Amino acid sequence: MRASRYAAVTLALIALPAATSRRAEAQGARPADLDSATAAAIAPIVQQARSASLPVELLYAKAREGEVQRAPVARIEAAVRALAARMQTASEALAPNPTVQELAAAADALKVGVPRETLREMRRRGRDGSLAVPIGVLTQLVVRGVPVEKASVQVVDLLQRGAVPKHFIALDERVREDVLAGKRPDESLDLRLKGIIPNLPQQATAEALSATPGNKRPR
Amino acid sequence: VREEHDELIGRIVDELRVLPAVPADATARVLARVDAARRGGTPSASVSDDDDVIFFPAVTDEMATPGPLAHSAPGAANGGGPARGGLRRRFMVSLPAAIGYALAATLAGFLIRGALPRKADPITAAREARRDDTSASAGVAVRPVAAVVSREAQEAPVATQFVLDASRAKSVSLVGDFNAWDGAKTPLVRDSASGMWSAVVPVTPGRHVYAFLVDGKTWTLDPQAPKTKDSDYGTEQSVIIVGLR
Repeated sequence: MRASRYAAVTLALIALPAATSRRAEAQGARPADLDSATAAAIAPIVQQARSASLPVELLYAKAREGEVQRAPVARIEAAVRALAARMQTASEALAPNPTVQELAAAADALKVGVPRETLREMRRRGRDGSLAVPIGVLTQLVVRGVPVEKASVQVVDLLQRGAVPKHFIALDERVREDVLAGKRPDESLDLRLKGIIPNLPQQATAEALSATPGNKRPR
Repeated sequence: VREEHDELIGRIVDELRVLPAVPADATARVLARVDAARRGGTPSASVSDDDDVIFFPAVTDEMATPGPLAHSAPGAANGGGPARGGLRRRFMVSLPAAIGYALAATLAGFLIRGALPRKADPITAAREARRDDTSASAGVAVRPVAAVVSREAQEAPVATQFVLDASRAKSVSLVGDFNAWDGAKTPLVRDSASGMWSAVVPVTPGRHVYAFLVDGKTWTLDPQAPKTKDSDYGTEQSVIIVGLR
């Protein structure tokens, strides 16, 4: 009897730290390897983000990124504060229930100048699909030099036509190859869209309907 | 003739009393037949008269304690015939058994029609969605994948390989936004044949920035990947867009 009690207590002691650690991780607890000065500097920002139901692990990651690059605490604090503000904007634009990946992608997009209206439109046109890849490709197109207005319109149009992540990834790879070969980014985008749009679900549907007897387009 | 504690005979008598158009002596004849059968020591399997007015099915233990569904039909006493009575007796079942049969039949119907909802795991759902998407490329009208697969399933991590050619390095680790910039989480392993360092890391779909830390301190970009300048800290980073192709 006594032995079984000891065994139960021992098992509980073994399981408790693991359970506590997992719970802290889920709640976005401060990483153990974050410098104490950095942690203290960003604590109010983290607290505010947590009360706004934003994923604070992204803020800790931004702080850790600064530490790895040996940035001063003040700069880390400014970067974390700016990220929290972008996440708040992104959360509103991608409402009602953006995922952590979507928020991270949208915060990066806002950073390179993508307007929040574009994000809102992407959520509307993208239905229930994840926007992590489309937003990421939009960000990369802008970083490559495609004007943000043009890139925004084209990415929203692709979502409207039913494009899925593999289409966006293919577009990004082809534009990248063209830019490496010396082509202008915006011209490459126009060209490569012509190769992707015919393979999109809604485009295929429209073509199938137009090819059906009795559904011929008026000339 | 009627015995005080014979429940079965009591039930028969009660039934015959309420039935219309039964000859006046029917009750007496039934009771006489039953009594004769019992006195002979063998229950009558099927006692019927030539005039076909009275039919009494076999007296068995099952009938002695009938279930809720084992009620008598009017036709049994006023011209139903032996076959009809026998048929009724064979189909007597208890209520729990009847409910069980009904449930089993319903379940079988659902299974045959494939109408039961099947809970698919995210990987299976993603595979099926990809199959749908492939057929979409071939010109078949289907709904876009976004409407089929949940957002969480689309964001399932993808195994991604990172490679760096650094033959003189003593250690290489990977830091990026997918591992919270923690180099200890993702050390690269040196391939003895090629001398190259590599690691396969589960990364969620989307655009990610990263770099290699050589010998624990030297910030090194991936020569195979596009690069971008981070405005927060002013350093250059490699870029990768992860997703199923």
